Amino acid sequence: MKRQAYEFFDQSAIPDDLCPIATKPSPMLPGDWRSMRPVVDRAKCVKCAQCWLYCPVQCVVERPAWFDIDLATCKGCGICATECPHRAITMIEEAA
Amino acid sequence: MGAFETISFRPENCNGCNDCMIACAQAKAQSDDAARSRIQVLSSDGSYELAMCRQCGDPECVHNCPAAALSKDAESGVIDWDASKCVDCLLCTVGCSYGGMVYDVDAGHVAKCDLCDGDPACVKACPRGALKFLTTARIYNEVGNLEDLFVPGLAGCQGCNTELIIRHAMRRIGPEAVVATPPGCIPGMGTVGYNGLTGTKVPVFHPLLTNTASMLTGVRRYYKRIGRNVKVVALAGDGGTADVGFQSLSGAAERGEEMLFICVDNEGYMNTGMQRSGCTPYGAWTSTTPVGERGRGKTQDAKNLPLLMVMHHCAYVATASTGFMEDLYDKLDRAIEASEHGFAYLHVYSPCTTGWRFPSDQNIEVSRKAVRTNFVLLWEFDPQSGLRLTHAAEDPLPLAEYVMALGKYRHLSEEQIAHIEGTIAQNVKFVKGLAAGVPLAAAPA
Repeated sequence: MKRQAYEFFDQSAIPDDLCPIATKPSPMLPGDWRSMRPVVDRAKCVKCAQCWLYCPVQCVVERPAWFDIDLATCKGCGICATECPHRAITMIEEAA
Repeated sequence: MGAFETISFRPENCNGCNDCMIACAQAKAQSDDAARSRIQVLSSDGSYELAMCRQCGDPECVHNCPAAALSKDAESGVIDWDASKCVDCLLCTVGCSYGGMVYDVDAGHVAKCDLCDGDPACVKACPRGALKFLTTARIYNEVGNLEDLFVPGLAGCQGCNTELIIRHAMRRIGPEAVVATPPGCIPGMGTVGYNGLTGTKVPVFHPLLTNTASMLTGVRRYYKRIGRNVKVVALAGDGGTADVGFQSLSGAAERGEEMLFICVDNEGYMNTGMQRSGCTPYGAWTSTTPVGERGRGKTQDAKNLPLLMVMHHCAYVATASTGFMEDLYDKLDRAIEASEHGFAYLHVYSPCTTGWRFPSDQNIEVSRKAVRTNFVLLWEFDPQSGLRLTHAAEDPLPLAEYVMALGKYRHLSEEQIAHIEGTIAQNVKFVKGLAAGVPLAAAPA
């Protein structure tokens, strides 16, 4: 399943006599906010996608046999670990 | 690749009645003997554990089977057992850590759960809701490959329900859209960007609190005039909808402008420091309805904004909650469709971990409890079919289960809880009355 992606808008199409219009995406990544980190136990994951469905940041990524977390954006809220019906995700403390 | 349906088990709801095991034995072995069931509930020290096939993503039993009798179905995710290939070596039972491969002594073969073709007998038999069949994987399979229209990094608080709502909503709405985000958490978390950068992959703008619906009216009319069908979407908080933003919202709804207005109701002005709003419920702590020697939280009831929108005869009005995602997606689809020919209003309840004071991982559970206690009623309305409850309001949980989970209600006295219970009962009666009534308009010819 190839991910559908849209073109970002074309800067040259924007008239230069308007108020400033942002055309570049913000590169901010909130992964470093985290104090707790989710760890997926691959053997326990059944790919039910509950973690993906409820992840506010939508940082859950699909792998062939399990769902994984993108730690660059995960804020460590713990919703995935609470919602996982098979207790495949545990929250561990980030190393200081 | 894709996601699959699964059976979840909540041991705290289980009392070991064995109804699931008997139902399974009847369905799969035509026997009343629970020992022949493919689902086994085991008791240890007063709590219960489940032994059944979980249809693993990377199944050990399939790897272990020397005869290729076990295989994982790529469509359903179910691990199929082929009796004609099985050599009864039982190696699969050795590989499984979950007790999923049962040895059926009477049949002389292993037996395993096959999810009853998507309608499991055990789940239907469970009288206490300990077993649930989770079908939300279909949402991932439908929309998981659509692009998230926000940048990966938005500065919502940890566990922000609003961020969850807007990401799902915009993914479904798609790229042919213009978004307005009036002041509140949604632009505050960076959807309109910082420092000359943007946070949304479609055109987004930041109207005043007061004029969101008016500006979108103009945007939609402009695109219609130049012959482009562009969806216009408001992602507004309850302040920008119910209080400050109400006059332009009411006007646009009355004129029947073609737009989708999504109100993310976190019951207060959470972005600016948790002040009360017209949607803050009775008794709630906020920074302007403090709790101390004299104050005991807000003294007025919340206004019921979605019902106000029903009275505007909008093309579509619905309330939704992230605790009930399939319902939310159904309503989102209907709202998007209705916004092509009229005003669509979607009111989504959004528990705020920071402002309501509860642990961030509990957000979805709080959303669910709000609905299960009838604190939040889920319904939808369109002028042709009238109002319809989409989550039965019968047998609600005790209100205390919801309010005591939240820091903003922890001070409530018994009288205050009784007041809220009274308001809920009144609201349920009123909405049920509307649901029983006739549609407000005859079907168009």
